[in-house]
Amino acid sequence: MPNIIACCKWVIDEAYIRKGPAGALDFSTVDYKISDYDRNAIEEAVCLKGLHGGSVTVLTAGAPEAAKGVKDALSRGAEQAFFAGDPSFNQLESSQTAAILGEIIRSRIPYDLVICGEGSSDQYAQQVGPRLAENLGIPCISYVQKLTIGEDGRILAERRVEEGVEVVEAPLPVLVTVLPEINTPRIPGVRDTLTASKKPVVAIKKEELPPVGAARLQTMGMTATRMERNCEKFAATPEEVARFVGALQKLGVIS
Amino acid sequence: MEFKLTEEQELIRKNMREFADKYVEPIAGEIDENSRHPAEVFKRLAEGDWMGIPIPVEYGGAGADYLIHILAVEELSRSCASTGFTVSIHVGIACMLVLLNGTEEQKQQYLLPMAKGDKLGAFVLTEPGAGTDVMAATTTAVLDGDAYVLNGTKTFTSNGPTGDTYMVFAWTDKAAGRKGMSCFIIPKGTAGMSAGTHFQKMGLRSSQTSEMVFKDCRVPKANLLGKEGAGLVMAMAGFDHGRVGIAAQSLGILQAALDESIRYAKERVQFGNPIARNQAISWMIADMATELSAARFLTYHASWLKDQQRVFSKEAAMAKLYASEAAMRHTIKAVQIHGGYGYCKGAKVERLMRDAKITEIYEGTSEAQRMVISGNVLR
Ligand SMILES: Cc1cc2nc3c(=O)[nH]c(=O)nc-3n(C[C@H](O)[C@H](O)[C@H](O)COP(=O)(O)OP(=O)(O)OC[C@H]3O[C@@H](n4cnc5c(N)ncnc54)[C@H](O)[C@@H]3O)c2cc1C
Repeated sequence: MPNIIACCKWVIDEAYIRKGPAGALDFSTVDYKISDYDRNAIEEAVCLKGLHGGSVTVLTAGAPEAAKGVKDALSRGAEQAFFAGDPSFNQLESSQTAAILGEIIRSRIPYDLVICGEGSSDQYAQQVGPRLAENLGIPCISYVQKLTIGEDGRILAERRVEEGVEVVEAPLPVLVTVLPEINTPRIPGVRDTLTASKKPVVAIKKEELPPVGAARLQTMGMTATRMERNCEKFAATPEEVARFVGALQKLGVIS
Repeated sequence: MEFKLTEEQELIRKNMREFADKYVEPIAGEIDENSRHPAEVFKRLAEGDWMGIPIPVEYGGAGADYLIHILAVEELSRSCASTGFTVSIHVGIACMLVLLNGTEEQKQQYLLPMAKGDKLGAFVLTEPGAGTDVMAATTTAVLDGDAYVLNGTKTFTSNGPTGDTYMVFAWTDKAAGRKGMSCFIIPKGTAGMSAGTHFQKMGLRSSQTSEMVFKDCRVPKANLLGKEGAGLVMAMAGFDHGRVGIAAQSLGILQAALDESIRYAKERVQFGNPIARNQAISWMIADMATELSAARFLTYHASWLKDQQRVFSKEAAMAKLYASEAAMRHTIKAVQIHGGYGYCKGAKVERLMRDAKITEIYEGTSEAQRMVISGNVLR
């Protein structure tokens, strides 16, 4: 009966990002969601619990507003949550997130299996999973599209790699990062959401954790793609195609 | 004053939007074209507790606020107004009638399976000669031993051909006037009750509407809902709930019209520019967005009053009147923004415009809402 931890991140729902006048991204009216692949992580944990028993704990670190995401995660079938919320956790980089999650897991949550999404919907750095495994000193299986726990308690994972599918086996405990192909996340029912508020959430304050290392990355800028209409028409003749290529070269789009 | 949904309300709204995008939007055109009741969607709605949101858990519902039901109807209607309406009339009128007036046995036997979504409810009041003028009804229920015997013809019954549990209104004492009509719970398969074939309609086509014929239909005394003679009062209270649902349905239609209009106006290029750059177009969109907001506040306010257990008849009528007329006005504009493409099958706005019209007619026409509102404010 495995104790499973599913890690999830509360991210900006990209559907709500708008383009400001000068091409800057406008986040003023955005809504948030559980990062897409993390929904697969939670779903997989809950499905495995359905098959083998055990427990599912969701774990997240983020801004205090991510409490709503914790509720969302609990409505998807986990029975408890650990939530490290602090305003300074809003823009954590992968190494910092992994350090925080690792510390919480080691000191507070007994586990056999940790499941993360392959990458987050906002940055898609694909770093937290492997870094967290390293932090915990356990093996990491990434790019997983199918997961089974055998009779002997070993885990069997199908990894989708560039040249095909790789099947690997490992003893627990282990960390896996999952791809969206692994399952279809449920849409919680009304009662699932209402009862989520009654499930236990262990809140962890920043002060209870060792200091988070300094950020190493710096965001230089973020702008929206631009579409400009020049109302120039090209026909599908060889001469026109040549003229089209010339126009692109002149604009510096190709060289 | 708080203009904010709770976290639960927001999450549930989002879940319904996802549900509608995934299971309803892709088939909405087809079920409209074929006038098909999407049983497969209702099975999924039942699984997610969407068919009895404001009904207490002990009677098979989700035990949530009425506002959450309203949000669900709005989001569903954004994809398919027929599906949103079917949920609205099932929950807002059929289930609410039994919840508010039923005995414990009636709640266990009839409300529980309806609120779980295993059975579909229907509201059977209108007759060929009695629409707005409910008092002109002629269907009678005569007590004979331990049963009432119903005779008469009803029409425009939503979920007529597809329903399981019918709330039927008939005179038990015509001479008593407003205190002479009663309501009966009649399950499908009762001898003497039959549903006609569904009408071919301009819009709301996947919702099944038909005549209901009662010929010496014997209904046990135990199926009388509430007191004998209380039917009209119960129907009016049912309408209060239902009308907030129709307002929500109108919001969904209007939101969809706005979404489609914004998308198309930015995309469609004429005279070298997206048509949204023309003030004639962008002002239509400004008005649409403004009236949608106004309609939404009216609707949520009416629903909030209901949740606070306050009187909400007038507010329900106002919300329904304003939201339905706004939906009609602006779906016409949405088609205009789409030009010829909006007039052809396959454009969502074409369906939205046809569906919008019914919101001004059923559960009381706009004229009937104005009667309710003026009756209230001129008191
Ligand atoms: C698709 C659909 C589904 C329906 N579902 C149901 C259902 O599930 N159950 C049910 O019982 N009924 C249902 N109805 C019936 C619906 O509620 C009635 O159609 C509506 O109440 C209007 O009645 P009517 O059609 O007889 O119009 P009428 O009452 O004949 O009205 C005709 C016109 O005259 C106006 N009018 C009437 N009286 C007045 C007045 N005193 N002052 C000013 N104007 C007036 C009306 O507003 C309307 O414009 C449904 C109807 C439709 C079309």
